Parts: sequence; structure tokens; C-alpha cells
Amino acid sequence: MISFRASSFTGNIRLYRVLAAKAYARNIQYRGSHLLHNFASAIFGYLYACIWIGLGRDHSLGEYGMLGMMHYITFTQASLWVSSFTTNGLGIPQSVRTGQIALDLMRPVHLFAHLAAKEAGQVAYQFLYKSIPVYLIMLLALGLTPAENGRTLPIALLALAGAAYVSLCLNYLIGISSLWTTESSWLYWGNQAMMNLLAGFFIPLQWLPLWLQHIAWASPYPFMLYAPTQLYLGKGEAVLLLGTLAWCAVLTLLCLLATRLLRHKVEVQGG
Amino acid sequence: MTEIANNRTSRLRAVRSYIKLYRLLIRTSIRSRMQYRFNFALGSILAALIQLSEFLMVAIVLAKFGSVQGWSVHEVGYLFAVMTFSKTIYRTFGDEVHHLERYLVEGELDQLLTKPLPVLLTLMPRSFRVMFGEVIQGGAIMIWALGAMLGSGQVTWWAIPQTVFAVLTGAVVLFAIGLATATCGFWTTRISMLQNMTEDAAQTAARYPLTLYPNWMGVLLLTAIPVGLVNYLPALYILRGELGIWVFPLLAAAACLVLLFALRFWAFGISRYQSTGS
Repeated sequence: MISFRASSFTGNIRLYRVLAAKAYARNIQYRGSHLLHNFASAIFGYLYACIWIGLGRDHSLGEYGMLGMMHYITFTQASLWVSSFTTNGLGIPQSVRTGQIALDLMRPVHLFAHLAAKEAGQVAYQFLYKSIPVYLIMLLALGLTPAENGRTLPIALLALAGAAYVSLCLNYLIGISSLWTTESSWLYWGNQAMMNLLAGFFIPLQWLPLWLQHIAWASPYPFMLYAPTQLYLGKGEAVLLLGTLAWCAVLTLLCLLATRLLRHKVEVQGG
Repeated sequence: MTEIANNRTSRLRAVRSYIKLYRLLIRTSIRSRMQYRFNFALGSILAALIQLSEFLMVAIVLAKFGSVQGWSVHEVGYLFAVMTFSKTIYRTFGDEVHHLERYLVEGELDQLLTKPLPVLLTLMPRSFRVMFGEVIQGGAIMIWALGAMLGSGQVTWWAIPQTVFAVLTGAVVLFAIGLATATCGFWTTRISMLQNMTEDAAQTAARYPLTLYPNWMGVLLLTAIPVGLVNYLPALYILRGELGIWVFPLLAAAACLVLLFALRFWAFGISRYQSTGS
């Protein structure tokens, strides 16, 4: 039995780096097609911006104003590729269906670290080839310059890195659930829906009804989009990063516990 | 003359046998889904929650701002519900058309081509989706929105059959858009990007009154990607008394036209299909 030990993580740093690099390299083969994909993503963002522009014609958009909401949508739309569009269940449902999961568990690396490393390469690729182009296209389409002249970008990107890790953990847990549900795509889409609603993707959290705000802040979702966006707009304090850090720690623990449960659940059938 | 009559009879017989076979395949698909009852129940509950969260996004905007371009919360709810119902009908019958990319990438379409049936007829019943979650959610929003408008006298009971008509023609329009988009896959293989624009983004846009958008986008959503025909155009007449009764024959004609175009395009695309497998 392979149990979680700190040494099994640290001893394989080189392996994790290779896994991440391979995932990055695999994706880069399709960069032409993915760059086109960005166009679709930017259209979505533009559409959301149009809704706020239309609303802004008749109503005041509060502390954001029309320009602020355009910046808000630009950043959240670009961030989706890092903090939301993580591989469905980190590929675990597929492994469960094919039986590959048994082999994955036999590897001399911890399943969570193995899949997290692979996903890290994927997320790095998506950041470079999707988030940045979408951000630039939206800035151009809406005639914007980076908020706060780009001064807030470093701290916002730091929060976004944490958000990517939180998303990775959530998808790991969703993936593991497929051992009980045989397919977890509904949980994946449920997670996406929560991202839209509770992470402040389209509507800033302070505009949600109070009861929904309470639900949102009791979950990790606000730290996946809203917190990075507030930092980007210069409206958030650096202390928000502590929340991200806390959720990273809690979810890591949950992932490790879930892996232990998974080991007891896996049955190999057939010969 | 006799030959023409014979041709017609054999064609009718073929259509009848296709329909019979289609029903059989749908029954098989439902039965196979019911083998995983827990999945089905979980999927339905989560689908309803997803729908609810999507409507909440629209409802929160309305609660915050009161109305959108003069459209009340009930009117926008109606737009949302009609789109939900039409989309549900489309995806119930045509979900596999939406997922054609998987068949193209993995070479599964080649297997379908070997079957002695039209590809579309083999493809569509493979995954007949029973979308209870969407029906419950769409139904609840529709009852709430129409109920309020009936109560205030904004609409009469005639709105109900008119809405059913709009939902059905809307489903045809959405299916046609989905089919035309999927057909592009015969050349490009990957279609998810295109679907993002022609289906996801367009349907999201049509949840709000089209006057919210720049003119060019409004025109686009009524012509090139005609999702506006699904809910916005019928709502103008049914809810606001704008345009005229001619909206309904127009919707029927437009639905037939886009479906015909999509089917022709599909037939052309499939004749140009080159397998991706080895």
C-alpha cells in the first residue's frame, strides 16, 4: 500500500516537473486551434460586457461604474482559463471507466501529486495561450488599458495562482467522486455553475442578496475569481490572499483524505 | 404515373419504418440510462440546480436594477423560460448532434456510416436525454412569469398556446443551428469553439432583450444565428403586443427554412467527410 508521506512528494520533484512539462508540451501542439478558441472566449466576454454597458445606459453601476464593470468582466473572463476551466475531474472519471485508476494507484507517486503536476502544466499553458490573449483581445475590443495602469497585476496574478490550485483540488475531489457515482460530469458542471454564481464571475459578490453572499463566503468560490479581480481593480486588500491560502490548505487535506478513501474503494474486476 | 405513386408509397413506408425504429432506439437509450438510477437522479437534481443558478444570475441583475431596457422581471423570466424549454427539447432529441466532435475525433462516425440508415437517424437516438431538471426549472419560471402577467392582465390565456408554439419552433431553430454548427466539423473536426459562439454565447445573449446589445449584434442574433427567433421575437407579440399575429407564420416559415438549410448543409458536409481514423 502506498501511503502519503512528505518524502514521496519531495523525492519526486523532478518527476512532477517532467509531468507538468509534458502536459504543457502536449497542449502546445494545438496552440493554433486554441488561439482560435480564444476568439470564442473573448466573444463571450464581450457579450457580458455588452450586457453591463446596456444596463449602464439606464442605471448607475454603483462603485464600479461602466468602466469598472468592463475591467471587471475583462479580468474574470481571462481568469476563467486558469481558475475554472480545469480538466474535468483531473481525468479521474475516465481512468475509473477504463480501469486505468488501478494502475495509477500502483505508481510509486502519490495520485494527487501526480495528477496535480500534470494539471499544473495544463494550467500554465492555458494561462500563456488562453488567458493572456483573451485579456489582450478584450482590452482592445473594449478600448481599455490595464486597470490601475497594471500596478495591481502582480498581486492579482498571485491570487490567481492560488485560485488555480483551489480549482485543481476541487476537480480532484469531483474526479474521486466518480468512484461512487460512476460518472461525475454533473458535479463538474455543478461546480462550473457555482463558479458563475458564487465566484462573482458576472455579478460582483456585493450585489448578491445577503443570504447568497453568506453562502458564497462560506465556500472557496469567492477566492477563485472575485478576490483576484478585486485585487486587480485595486479594490481589495492583500489580506484576501490569506483566505486563498487557507482554502488551499483545507482542500489539500481533503484531497489527501479522499485519496485514502479511494484506495479502499478501488476494486479490480476481470483478468 | 404509377411509378411516381409507387415511389411515393415506398418513401412513405421508409419514413414510417424510420419513425418506428427511432422510437425503438429511444426506448433502448432510456432503458440503458435507467440502469444507473442513482446517476440519473443525481444528474436531474444537479441539472435543476445549474439551471437555477443560471436564472439567479439574471434574476439578481433584475433585482438590482429593476428592469432591463423597459423589460420587467417577469418578461425577462419569460425569455429565459422559453429559451430553456426550446433548448431542452433540442438537447433531448439532438444531444448527440451537439457532441458530434467526439465521433469525429475518435473515428466513431465511420461505424455509423456503415449502418443501413441515414447517419442522423442513427446518431440522434444514441443518447436520448430525459432532462427532468431543466423541465422542472423552466416550468417553474414559466408558471411564475406567465402567472404574474396573467394576474396583472398584461396577457390573456391565449399566451399559453402561443408560447407552446414559440417553444416548438424555437426548438427547431436551435436544432438547426446546432446541426449546421456540427456539420462544420466535417471540415474542421473540432467544433467546440464554434459551438461556444453559435450555441452557448448566442443562447446566453438571448436571455436578455436584444435591445440591450449594439445594433449589429441584435441583427446578427435575428439573422445569421437566429436565436432571437426562439424567444425575443415571439415575446414582442405575446407579452408586449408589438408586431402582429403574422409573427407566428413567420416563425413557422423561418424554422422550416433554417431546418431545411441545416439538413442540406449536413448532407453536403457528410458527402465531403474524410475519416480521421487510420
